[in-house]
Amino acid sequence: MRVTAQVQAATRRRILEVAQALFASQGFEATTTRDVAKAAGIATGTMFNYFGSKEAVVGSLAAEALADLDVDFKRRDREGSSLEEDLFAFVAAGLRRLKPLRKHLPVVLEAALSPVRGNVDEECCRLRVSHLETVSRLAAKQLGLKELPAMALQIYWSLYAGLLLFWANDDSPRQEDTLGLLDDSLHMFVRWLTDSSNKPKEP
Amino acid sequence: MPTIAELMQSLPEAGAEADRLPEPLAAASMRPVPVGRLRRIGLLGTLQAKIAAAYLFHWLRGCLCSEDERQRLLRETHWRTAVRVLDSMGYLRGAVTKMGQTLANLPDIAPKEFVQTLERLHYDAPPMHWSLLREMVHNELGDDPENLFASFETRAFAAASLGQVHGAQLPSGEKVAVKIQYPGIARAVTEDFQNLNLFMFPARLDKDWGYVKGQVDDLRLRLEMEVDYQKEAAMLARARSLFREEDGIVVPRVHPQLSTERVLTMERLEGVHLDEFLRAGPSQEQRNEAARKIFRAWYRLFAAGRVFYADLHPGNFLFLPDGRLGMIDFGFVVALEDELWRLCQRLDRGLTTGSREDRAAGVREWSVITDDEADADRLRLSVDFSDWAWGFRYCGGEFDFGDEAGFRRGIDLAAEMVRKRYTRANPCTPSICRQNFGIRSLLYRLKARIDVRPIVEEEMKAAGWDRHDA
Ligand SMILES: Nc1ncnc2c1ncn2[C@@H]1O[C@H](COP(=O)(O)OP(=O)(O)OP(=O)(O)O)[C@@H](O)[C@H]1O
Repeated sequence: MRVTAQVQAATRRRILEVAQALFASQGFEATTTRDVAKAAGIATGTMFNYFGSKEAVVGSLAAEALADLDVDFKRRDREGSSLEEDLFAFVAAGLRRLKPLRKHLPVVLEAALSPVRGNVDEECCRLRVSHLETVSRLAAKQLGLKELPAMALQIYWSLYAGLLLFWANDDSPRQEDTLGLLDDSLHMFVRWLTDSSNKPKEP
Repeated sequence: MPTIAELMQSLPEAGAEADRLPEPLAAASMRPVPVGRLRRIGLLGTLQAKIAAAYLFHWLRGCLCSEDERQRLLRETHWRTAVRVLDSMGYLRGAVTKMGQTLANLPDIAPKEFVQTLERLHYDAPPMHWSLLREMVHNELGDDPENLFASFETRAFAAASLGQVHGAQLPSGEKVAVKIQYPGIARAVTEDFQNLNLFMFPARLDKDWGYVKGQVDDLRLRLEMEVDYQKEAAMLARARSLFREEDGIVVPRVHPQLSTERVLTMERLEGVHLDEFLRAGPSQEQRNEAARKIFRAWYRLFAAGRVFYADLHPGNFLFLPDGRLGMIDFGFVVALEDELWRLCQRLDRGLTTGSREDRAAGVREWSVITDDEADADRLRLSVDFSDWAWGFRYCGGEFDFGDEAGFRRGIDLAAEMVRKRYTRANPCTPSICRQNFGIRSLLYRLKARIDVRPIVEEEMKAAGWDRHDA
């Protein structure tokens, strides 16, 4: 039993690795599930036991890349930094880890954001939830709130998804435009957040 | 020539409707990539470029009208525009700051309030926060600042025109200054100037515009050079090699392994700027010595380095506690091509003989002046101007650079030439004029009383110039 679980984990690992290599060398579109299965040395049918779709593979890769993002981020935590700075550091740490997947992210996002695609990979959801938890924690701490309102998280997520989409297609030198856009988006978001949290509450 | 009022009107208001902009600008404002703040920078940049142009006009116009009218214009428009510029500026302050420095270098032409506003502008720019900086450094140098440096100050100690400057320490313990550029600014600058050219020049190509275009081109050249720190690093290294310890002039050492197009790491010079130097009430001799060093540095770069250091403004000199002069910012240095170099040598020879005939011959060549009767006045003025600009270097004897009337004379001569449209000259004339006014205004502010001829002779001799076969 133990062995089987280990074998399974190894196979899963192998699929992810070969898939990443294939996406990188021949592109996401041109890579079929059959290509991935073949490269991983398994039957195409077996492949579906592990991943429901190519998108799910990318989703898992992303989830894996971001698994212990908090570690990176905590290392960067700085006394006296502003919320904007904290959020920037958090997102930027994630971008660094997602870098090998940069060009393939739109498909995951599309799957994760689309209201009509039912079979959204769980991992994508978890990714989103944990990302938003961190954002909420950072913002709540700086603003002295218990937690961030759902509306704020909604807005944040749209900005973040937009940023990732932009990044995927950013051909400026070393994607410097993405840094500019991130700076801008967070500036806007934090401004909005502080403005709205300073407003007197409706009775 | 459009009036200032017209120019002011043509400046877009905050949140201007894109459909009222001239075509290329409107197109630029609809650039398909919606890059948030970057896009704003793009638009702002264009706005600033327009304002820079407005100042150029203003400057020229200021030369063309009477004193009273000029005062009124200064109050009305300079101030208003400066305030608006201050209001609307985000990252890209470069273009206007450059103009400001040129203007600030000419006391009496630019009003004090205006100069002060621009100085504020220079230092109150919205800084990049640490998280953004860290990504820029990582992007450019491949690792985090914490790993590359022993320590890194998270707050900038100075603003640069396209970025900011941070103090840091290398693992070796050496203190360095790290200049970091705003993301995307380099491309924004280049694009903005392309747009400016597009919309400004085809429509109004008359004589006056030719002159303005020269100035704007000069500005563009400067900014385009300035956006690439690698070019500046190369120039710094070259300049540094020209000075010896006994000169008392120091150019910071560059650390190439920590420098790229967008990041420049160099030795940090602990010194103060001119204003602070003067505030401490230095003696006449201290001021004279500072002036000699500035002058020598400029001549060394010219004679031995074969470059024009066109950026003779106070921000680029640091006065070190031990009396040495620090020279920073080699973003705008013009290397002299063979032809121009030979022309400079011929002119130099003509200038040293002490005969007006020889000087006139040089000026004729420089400004393409014919024997035509119609050119007589032009020749007279040009020779007078060159006497003003060059005389003190060749005549010998103590020269009082603090003499305001003497300083004004150069401005008046230049103004008269502009007024009479005597603007035909070697293309690098604006940059040379800037140097002439730049050096004079630095020495003027130092109220120096020195004889520069020995310096000129030493420098020319050391560089192997043949000055006595004329
Ligand atoms: N090596 C250095 N040591 C100490 N201070 C420095 C050094 N380099 C730059 N600075 C400081 O940073 C300021 C801006 O630097 P620098 O002039 O190189 O930038 P720039 O982008 O060329 O700006 P500008 O052309 O507007 O002056 C300087 O005026 C100086 O105060």
